[in-house]
Amino acid sequence: MVQYNFKKITVVPTGKDFIDIILSRTQRRTPTQVHKGYAISRLRQFYMRKVKFTQQNFHDKLSTIIEEFPRLDDIHPFYGDLLHVLYNKDHYKLALGQINTARNLIGKIAKDYVKLLKYGDSLYRCKSLKVAALGRMCTVIKRVSPSLAYLEQIRQHMARLPSIDPNTRTILICGYPNVGKSSFINKITRADVDVQPYAFTTKSLFVGHTDYKYLRYQVIDTPGILDRPFEDRNIIEMCSITALAHLRAAVLFFLDISGSCGYSIAQQAALFHSIKSLFMNKPLIIVCNKTDLQPLEGISEDDKKLVMEMKAEAMKTVIGQGGEATDDDSVLLTMSTLTEDGVIAVKNAACERLLNQRVELKMKSKKLNDCLNRFHVAMPKPRDQKDRPPCIPQAVLEAKAKKAEETAEKEKRKLERDLENENGGAGVYSASLKKHYILADDEWKEDVMPEILDGHNVYDFIDPDILMRLEELEREEGALQGLEADDDFEMDGAELTPEEQAALAEIRKKKSLLIQQHRIKKSTAESRPTVPRKFDKDKQFTAERMGRQLSSLGLDPSMAIDRARSRSRGRKRERSPDRGGNDGLDSMEVDGDQQNKKLRVRSRSASRSRSKSRPPGEVVPGEGLKDTAQKKKAIKMAKRSSKKRNKDARRGEADRVIPTLKPKHLFSGKRSTGKTDRQKFPLLWIHIQQPVASHVWGSCIRYAVQLQQPAIVENLFVC
Amino acid sequence: MPQGDYIELHRKRHGYRHDHFERKRKKEAREVHKRSQIAQKALGIKGKMFAKKRYAEKALMKKTLAMHEESSTRRKVDDDVHDGAIPAYLLDRDETTRAKVLSNTIKQKRKEKAGKWEVPLPKVRPVAEDEMFRVIRSGKRKTKQWKRMITKATFVGPSFTRKPPKYERFIRPSGLRFTKAHVTHPELKCTFNLEIIGVKKNPNGPMYTSLGVMTKGTIIEVNVSELGLVTPAGKVVWGKYAQVTNNPENDGCINAVLLV
Repeated sequence: MVQYNFKKITVVPTGKDFIDIILSRTQRRTPTQVHKGYAISRLRQFYMRKVKFTQQNFHDKLSTIIEEFPRLDDIHPFYGDLLHVLYNKDHYKLALGQINTARNLIGKIAKDYVKLLKYGDSLYRCKSLKVAALGRMCTVIKRVSPSLAYLEQIRQHMARLPSIDPNTRTILICGYPNVGKSSFINKITRADVDVQPYAFTTKSLFVGHTDYKYLRYQVIDTPGILDRPFEDRNIIEMCSITALAHLRAAVLFFLDISGSCGYSIAQQAALFHSIKSLFMNKPLIIVCNKTDLQPLEGISEDDKKLVMEMKAEAMKTVIGQGGEATDDDSVLLTMSTLTEDGVIAVKNAACERLLNQRVELKMKSKKLNDCLNRFHVAMPKPRDQKDRPPCIPQAVLEAKAKKAEETAEKEKRKLERDLENENGGAGVYSASLKKHYILADDEWKEDVMPEILDGHNVYDFIDPDILMRLEELEREEGALQGLEADDDFEMDGAELTPEEQAALAEIRKKKSLLIQQHRIKKSTAESRPTVPRKFDKDKQFTAERMGRQLSSLGLDPSMAIDRARSRSRGRKRERSPDRGGNDGLDSMEVDGDQQNKKLRVRSRSASRSRSKSRPPGEVVPGEGLKDTAQKKKAIKMAKRSSKKRNKDARRGEADRVIPTLKPKHLFSGKRSTGKTDRQKFPLLWIHIQQPVASHVWGSCIRYAVQLQQPAIVENLFVC
Repeated sequence: MPQGDYIELHRKRHGYRHDHFERKRKKEAREVHKRSQIAQKALGIKGKMFAKKRYAEKALMKKTLAMHEESSTRRKVDDDVHDGAIPAYLLDRDETTRAKVLSNTIKQKRKEKAGKWEVPLPKVRPVAEDEMFRVIRSGKRKTKQWKRMITKATFVGPSFTRKPPKYERFIRPSGLRFTKAHVTHPELKCTFNLEIIGVKKNPNGPMYTSLGVMTKGTIIEVNVSELGLVTPAGKVVWGKYAQVTNNPENDGCINAVLLV
């Protein structure tokens, strides 16, 4: 089936956009790099590819445009005529023709330039040829851009055309403007056509669908037609004329007998007679609309005569179709779309007439005879004269009856809403919500309920067995508390032996010592260096110490020492000098003494001046500073300046020792980014952070030379 | 299914969103910032193209602004100086102008004697022989190198037939043969696609002229019958000279300017 839906046409880009799209596509999808030194054949191929690729893309896109736009000669004549009326066939064909020539021209350009590229002997020449080729192709498109813009506009309009199937059952509505055609279609279908009091509200065809006897009918609403000679008609009227001319449909000619559309019945009758040639071979029904304003019987004699004339014409079409020559009322009908009076009758009549006509035609056609002898509708022969009505079980009948009663009752029952309406409406009457309370005594319904009474929430006591529940809860809680109490375990000192007591005292002392140590460590963490155990000053964690402690406990340390040593032995064996001096006193007290030199110093000073016992954190003004705050700030500044140094484990300002000048991990291995370059040459980087005078540079170089660091000297000049 | 002007219909029936106009206004106000962001962030070819477009827009904007700022105030009018007017103290010095005119005529006479005519491109870059010809090896062992292929655009007349391939020394490939030129009329400023009748003179030498090679600066004769020029005597002019203004081998076409 040919497409009658023009929504699927791809967007036509404007000339400029078209060029941009294709050129950027070429840039993205073809190789981009080429160098002067490549072989000439490679250069030529590179540029030829670009030219051909561009041409191919232009060709493809232009071809899609040409193919997707419908050819006015290939589609149904209804659509062909409609498009001609709307867009002017010649203009349309010209535009498409221009696109076609553009496509051919681009093909020719590409062919010529590819031929020329074969003679290109340098990069520059090939490149200029490619630039010329692409430029010419783009100029062709630029010249054609008005056509592209026109086609885009057409496409947008075409997409909004109604998709009418010219071959299926169709009902066409025509008449003067403002007679009620759009209201009618709104009533019988779901099409939402705009209905306004001014003429020519409907400016194009609209389609809606309706059902009758299990078949779908198209209903087409047309713009109003004025009584004018054919040549003077504008585009909007021509749309309806086209529809009338090409579609095999049932025609409903609308007549406004009240004259409220602004045109008299005489004018409408004149229109009817001028276009009656278009009604040939179509079931015609004359519909008198707006009967709520003016019934058909009440019109004047002249008008009645005109209407009867029209009816006679319409009857002719009935006779012409071989229908009954009765004065059937299915030729002249009255209705009112406002009161919906007679609307369904009109629709049914139109559908019926159309169906009959189509069936007749189909019966007469030759094709049907081939099918007909393959059909056989079997009608069962009645066995006897017994009447066999459908069997409905008794229960169902009763249920139905009950339901009928209920609905009747519902209608009789008085609703709250009715009550409200009676007593003054929504703002005046407020329904009493307590009407339906279920209480022990009905007189309590209107009582006022307090919420708080004697400081208690009334709702808390509403439950009648609330007291019982409270007692239960309390019992449970008591039980839980008892369980908790059982978990507490109290240590009684009298249960231990004296050795155990001594051990306990030792353990507690050691624990408190450890805690103290840990606290000191934490408080000085900010300005204490994190030194690996190798460089640990106090030598707390040597294997010998462990051995001594174990032997003091009475155990044999040799195996433990061996194990520890075997694990810690790396490439370089550290010979830790035996810091003697504390062999005898290797009990736990010594650790604390050695560690807390600072503390010892402070405690000594504190013990000297016992008369002035000051808390350790207090700061008094003095030493040149005016008050506590300033002194605190000074202390803070002093601490801050030394913090970084301490963290780096430097002894003071002048300590500039670099322990390893060439750490192995920085000078070996491959890394692409310069992560290790920075760290390899410390002297260099230090000086680069601050601007330095030239003599400092000199000394730096000398120092580097001293250290025999030729790499540094080299890098000095490189950087 | 939406048919006809359904968008306008919806707008008519339901109006716009309650914040439609505010959003629209804000979006348009934001466009300025977005554009400037794109202008700053776009890189590469996209950035260049955008910058070019924007520059053109800005120039146009500036012009319109200047135009709006023009006020109709009265300004001082400078009287035009007549041609040849000189201040009083130079009144008796007018020999130099005459001398100038004289030297001009002398120059012209000299030029005519020398055979130089005024052309739009008086000087062109000389084309070397190895640029013009490409050596073609021939013979059974490909050792003979006496053939040459011309790498520039050429013109051969309609009655051209090649010499027998064994004897032709200069090969003019058919891909590089042109019959039409895009000729611009210098006064009318419009360009026509005219047929070439022949190559009159190639500035690189008479050999190239005889071969029909067209490089930049070559004088060619074109068929101007479609221009409809007529001599004062009433005869129809159908051939005129034009000078080639581009490098045809790089552009794939011959652009020339008519010598009127």
